[in-house]
Amino acid sequence: MTLHLQALIAILLMALMTYLTRIGGFLLLRGRTLSPRATALMEILPGCVLVSIIAPVLASGEPANIIGLGITALAATRLSLIPTMLLGIAATGVLRTFL
Amino acid sequence: MTQHNSPSISPSHAYEFLRGVRTALPLTLAFIPFGLLLGSRAIQQGLTHLEIPLLTGLNFAGGSEFAAVDLWTLPPNILLLASTTFLINSRHILMGTTLTSYLQNRPRWQIFSLLFFMCDEVWALSLADTQKNPSKTLSIGFYSGVTMCLYSCWVITTFVGGFTGSIVHNLIRYGVDMAIPAVFLVLLRGMWMGRRTALPWISSLIAASLTYHFLPGAWYVLVGTITGGINAWIMIHKK
Repeated sequence: MTLHLQALIAILLMALMTYLTRIGGFLLLRGRTLSPRATALMEILPGCVLVSIIAPVLASGEPANIIGLGITALAATRLSLIPTMLLGIAATGVLRTFL
Repeated sequence: MTQHNSPSISPSHAYEFLRGVRTALPLTLAFIPFGLLLGSRAIQQGLTHLEIPLLTGLNFAGGSEFAAVDLWTLPPNILLLASTTFLINSRHILMGTTLTSYLQNRPRWQIFSLLFFMCDEVWALSLADTQKNPSKTLSIGFYSGVTMCLYSCWVITTFVGGFTGSIVHNLIRYGVDMAIPAVFLVLLRGMWMGRRTALPWISSLIAASLTYHFLPGAWYVLVGTITGGINAWIMIHKK
């Protein structure tokens, strides 16, 4: 259970950086009233973030990943969370074994 | 509109907390192999058993931790680690803006403590829940329940991973890594608003994929989000 000073400094600085990004958006927009257009944008932006986070699965170029993601996306339009997760995991696992 | 819980209308804090726990439970299970994997990699890279939970507990952002562990050296390159962490997590600035209007009327200390835990998954589940809520208020109980599950699971499993070695690689290879996209896809279904969302999402997907493919590092989330945002902004202005 040792702790190195330089590791501690690195961890604390990383934590500070992450915290700055977490409060940054709030500090930028607090106290402002958004125009109806900006509010409309704020409703669309979260989906754009989520789509972008998923993108590497697609960009990996692995057929098993791409087909697995497609099956998961299809499942997500019909099923609730847990069946979607299970189906996505199973489909991707099977595809990776056989492709 | 008051944002404080009045007992006659709002469900109790404990009820909301449990609802958050229930909602986060599947995702919590999906976190376990990733936590174990991160812990085992961290030990290989020279972090100590104390430094691992310190890192994952103070810097609750999995993506940046995987990158940091890969970049870890003895002694660590502090500036490289800090700047990489900022870049990877800069998407949280955008995420924070989308929560601001729901947080504004809360006490300052509460806002700044809640935001400390705003990882992708906490943000996504809470925002989706807020948008579904007829009164459009952020449920602090729900947010805390989600946070408690994911945070404790992450810190504990990364710590344990430091002792278990790399037994979990196979679990992830067998498809468990699809669990997190699955959660995001289900949340996206709830955010779908027809054509208004279709084009921005498609442009985000294309821009993020291309960026991921051609640019090293973690620019893809920012580029994808901003491209989709610009697309949405143009559509909003045309109306």
